[in-house]
Order: sequence, then structure tokens, then C-alpha cells
Amino acid sequence: MHVVDARRRRLSLDNLAELWAYREVFFAFTVRHFKVRYKQAAIGVGWSLLQPLLAAALFAVFLGHLVHLPGEGVPYFLFALAGLVLWTFFATALNSAADSLLRDASMVRKVYFPREILPLSAVAAALADLPAALLVLLGMEMATGGRPSITWLLIPLPVFMLLLFASSLGLILSALNVYYRDIRHVLPFFLQVMMFGSPIVYSLGVVPLEWRGLYQALNPVATAVDDIRRLVLHDTWPDPVANASALLTTVVLLLVGYYVFQSLQRDFADHL
Amino acid sequence: MTTAIRFEEVSKTYHRTGEDYRALRDELTRIFTFQRRTKTRREVNALRHVSFAVEPGEAVALIGENGAGKSTALKLVSRITYPTSGRVTVSGRVGALIEVGSGLHPELTGRENVQLYGRILGLGGPYVRKRFDDIVDFAGLASSIDRPVKQYSSGMQLRLGFSIAAHLEPDILIVDEAMSVGDAAFQHRCVERMSKLVREGRTLLFVTHHLGSAEALCGRAILLTAGEIDMDGEPKEVIHEYLRRLHVRLVAESPDRAVGGDGIEILHVSTHDSSGDEVAAIRPGDPLTIRVRYRAKRALVSPQFSIAIADPTMGQLVQASMLVDGEDLGRVEGEGCLECAFTALPFKPRTYDILGEVREGFGRLIDYQRWARIQVTDEVAQHGSGVVAVWRSIYGAPVALPYSWRYPQPDRADLPETADRRTR
Repeated sequence: MHVVDARRRRLSLDNLAELWAYREVFFAFTVRHFKVRYKQAAIGVGWSLLQPLLAAALFAVFLGHLVHLPGEGVPYFLFALAGLVLWTFFATALNSAADSLLRDASMVRKVYFPREILPLSAVAAALADLPAALLVLLGMEMATGGRPSITWLLIPLPVFMLLLFASSLGLILSALNVYYRDIRHVLPFFLQVMMFGSPIVYSLGVVPLEWRGLYQALNPVATAVDDIRRLVLHDTWPDPVANASALLTTVVLLLVGYYVFQSLQRDFADHL
Repeated sequence: MTTAIRFEEVSKTYHRTGEDYRALRDELTRIFTFQRRTKTRREVNALRHVSFAVEPGEAVALIGENGAGKSTALKLVSRITYPTSGRVTVSGRVGALIEVGSGLHPELTGRENVQLYGRILGLGGPYVRKRFDDIVDFAGLASSIDRPVKQYSSGMQLRLGFSIAAHLEPDILIVDEAMSVGDAAFQHRCVERMSKLVREGRTLLFVTHHLGSAEALCGRAILLTAGEIDMDGEPKEVIHEYLRRLHVRLVAESPDRAVGGDGIEILHVSTHDSSGDEVAAIRPGDPLTIRVRYRAKRALVSPQFSIAIADPTMGQLVQASMLVDGEDLGRVEGEGCLECAFTALPFKPRTYDILGEVREGFGRLIDYQRWARIQVTDEVAQHGSGVVAVWRSIYGAPVALPYSWRYPQPDRADLPETADRRTR
């Protein structure tokens, strides 16, 4: 039995219970996102590998070779690739999530399912590209003389952090996108600012030590990228304080994102 | 048993701004220049304080004119939209067919769509697999089930959508006007399928303009007018009342002034009886001449006029078409006049629309609109007992051809002798 009334329930366990009940739909949408993306692309899965590799090569030539940007003592290409593998996942996830409600407007207008499934499954589908990209990164590390390290086991930590971060921003942006259609024009610019605001092409060491704690707490991307460089390139463990604070930020943002999404979602069908 | 669908004081207001969505850019400008939001919002009350309950196993038709709130009611039941006030309670799994292609994703194949929709309805993979062949069979899509839905025609999408919604055992089936797209054979199958579901004790909420199938399928009809329940009861009575009001309103409305398209302007349309006098009403079987004065806004090459007489609820009844008849006006410039004379209109008393269309070249439509109305009246019926007169005037087929009833004695001589002839 279900009740629809004028009252707005913004955050409640009922929503989570319902999301769980619809998990099959979530998986179906995730698989569908993935399929559709690769049906449309000519070189298929290769694209998800090529994207970070090409970007890393580009930055290696211009920033590493010409500008002589330091790469924490490892080859600059490898240094940039470690950041770009995670960044590509994050940017793809956010782009796809922000557009998810508009892309499936016909579904939202015609059939009921918890609407948050759309942005969340868009993020989940982007995750599917990541293992291959990570394998390439590990392969490159081995090729340049690195060895498998026990620290590699903790790679899921930064991935999980970015997954949550992309989900929370994805919820907010997808909901706003229904009302303000120029979000899709603003988003590429926003992503660019974020990329250069995060230590993707430069080292976290650039940020002054006294600000670094706050910076890493407020920017989970910075923390995640630093994590993966430590884990893969330097074979050291991540900074526990930075990770705890960044994770806390992400969780708070996820609650905010879910709240925003829930307060807007009732009117989606009327606006799409 | 709990009520299947319950509406309690449900209202739904849509806000219509000029555009469908705002630009963040404009909103920021507004904030930074300290402007107030412009109050151009127009409110549309799709439903006003609507209350009704549908018991499990009931088949209910929602009827009413466009914009009466029928589709909004269905969207509320299927949780696609939310009420502005009041409450809708639904118990049971809802299978909804709101528009053509409901729940179908264009990039996925028919097969993948069946699976996705099954999941949305909360059914497991094995269950969907079990019904899969039935769904494909019913939709008649065996050869194209593995093609992406975007390659389907709208008819195929409709068939698949209906077939999924009707086969995945919904407790409550919601159908909106979908059948108007399908061919006659499929429409017939849909009605059969729906009546089977109704016989099985499932609840049906059905929006349609096809009053015949509403009456055939449903045990109850609700008439919505401007967002309010006008009548709720026996389909036959509700449909009768609906048609009566429609008729009254159409008669009360003055005929629309002719407005031209971009190539031609219809200046004046008048209706005349056999002696050439202008009339607004004729008797059944009388001749009718329709006179059209027009002005070509540019030089038209062989424009073809067609004039149709239509029943507002049933569509076109007769058509006189220059395109079909091979009439050729050649090059037409400036003002002109033409007449179309029907030697007899064997129509029952009611009000008919005169629809005009003008085509140019190889049938390119340049103007199509209602040109006028003609009332057919029958004094005897008008003076007869009120209800019977109205009933006679709006019920049944509009064309009156001469016929009589006879009751001959069954007689061997009358029986066809085909069997004997064949052996001979």
C-alpha cells in the first residue's frame, strides 16, 4: 500500500527502506547506463582507458617536460596518471549523474520508482570503468620498476570516498538541473575549476602545511588523490586524520544532497 | 478487503510559468539586482477536492473533456505526481500505461525493456521470464523483440507497453487513452485482455474518449468536469449525461470565426437550403449547400478544397474532396467563391461541425479548421417527451438511412438452398 499526499517527507528511514526494495531496479538501471554508453561509443571500453592515458600524456608533455613540474620523485606521467584515473571517474560520474533525470525524463514522467535511483545508478555505472583504469595504473607502476605492495589493498578507500562524494554532488546537481537547465553549461566550467583546485597535476605538497588539514577535509578529491599516490606510487599508508575528516565532509554532504533531492523530487514529473 | 484506490479531498494545482524551466543565470541576476520574482505564474487547477473510492475488482472509467483532470488522476494513482493537497491511498501493485511508450527506454531492446519494467513493478527475473513469451506474443513482436525500441513504430511501442503492463499481473491496471493509436485488431485484443483482467478480479481505472469500450468494460463511470466529479454511477447513464452536456455546450457556443492559414484566408462560410436562403438548421434528409468565400494571400497553384461534415464525438461522417474528385481550379489569385451542394443529408437531429481543409500542390495542407456548424433538427423529436428527444438526438449512429423492421413467418422457402445447389 502506498500513500501520496501533500506532506513532504525529506529525510526518513522509509525512503531508505524503499530504495532497498527497489535495489533490483537500481542494478537494472546501472547495467543499462553502462550498456547504452558502450553501445553508442565506437571504441567501447577502450575509451575509458584512453581518456586518463591521453590526459596524462598531455600533461606530462606540457607540465612535466616543458614546465618541469615536480612529480613527488616519480616519473611525472605516472604521477599525473594516478590523479587522472580517479579524476576521470569522478568527472564522468558527476557529468552522467547531473544529466540523469533529464536523460530519462520520459521514464520519470510515466512510471514510478524512487527517483534517486537515476543519479545514483549513473554514478555506479561510471564506477564500472574504474577497475580497468586502475589495472593500467598498476601496470605502469610495475613497468617503471615498482613492485606490488601490501598498501595496494587499501585502494578501495579513496574510490569509496569519491563514490560518496560524486553521489552527493550528483543528487544535488541532477535535481537542480530539472529546474535550471543551464546547469549543464555551468558544470564543465565547475569541473575544470575543481580539477585545478585539486592536486591532480601538481602535488599536495604545494598546499602550505598549516592549511593542508582544512584543505583536505573540505576537498575529498584532494584527499583521495593523495591516498592513491601514497598507496601506489610511494607504498605508504594514507593520512588517517585527513581521511577521517574528508569522509566526514562527504557523509554530511551526502545527507544534504539527499535532503535537497527529496525536497525537490515530488515536482520532477511536473517540470520535466 | 481494503479499498484499492481512495482519493480524499485531492487537489492538484499546476503552476505554469511562461517557460517550463528557469535559467540559473536569470535567477542569479534577479538575486544580485534585488528584483522580486515576477508574478507571471498562472495556476491551473487540474483537480479540485476530488474524493472517491474504488473497491478491489471494480472497473471504473474516467470520462470527461480534455483538461478535465482525468490524466492527472491517473498520474496520482501511479505516484508519478503528487497532490497539492489531500491524500491518495493505493493498495496493491500498479501497472500503468499512461502514454505510448510508458516505461520503455528507447536505447534498450524490447527484451531488455520487458525485464526492466518487470523490475520496476517489483517482479523477479524468473517471473518475468515465465511470462515473457506471452508478452511478446500478445504484442506481436516476435521478430523484432531484440531490436532497440527506438526503431519501433509508435504502434509497436504501444503494443509492447500495453502488453507488459497487462501481463505482469498488476493488482491495479491503469490505462490512459492508449488504444487510440493501435489498429482495430489490437484495440480489440486490448479490450479483451482488460476484460479478462477485470474478470480475474483485478482493479481497472480506464481513461478514454472511446465511450463504447468504456461502457463495455466498466461497471462504473466517473465524469470529471474542470477538475471536479460531476457524476459517478452506471456507465450508460454517465455517458448519456456527458454526451448531453457536450451537446448543449457545443450548441451554445457560437461558430468560430473563420481564420485563414498563411496561404489562404477563409472570409466567410455560410449554409443554405434548397432555395438558396441562408439557414442555421435543416431537417433530416434536407439538401444543404455550403458556400465559401476566400482570399488567396498569394498565387495558389491548383488548390484543393475539401469539406467534411463531422459529429463532434464520432468524427467525420461525409467528405467532399476536390483531391478525390479530381476537380482542378488551376491558378487562383485574390478573392473567390465556391459552393458545395449536398443533395441530401440523412443525419439524425444534433449539431454537426463543418470542417474545411485546403491543400495545395501534391496534397500539402495549407489550411484546416472548423468552418461552421449546422444543426439538424426534427420538430417531432423536439416536441416529444424531453428525455426521449434528447436521447434520440445524441444516442447511436448519426446517419439515418431508410429502413423498416419486418417479422416474417419462418418458412422453408425463405431458407437459402446453397447446400442443395452445390450437390447438384
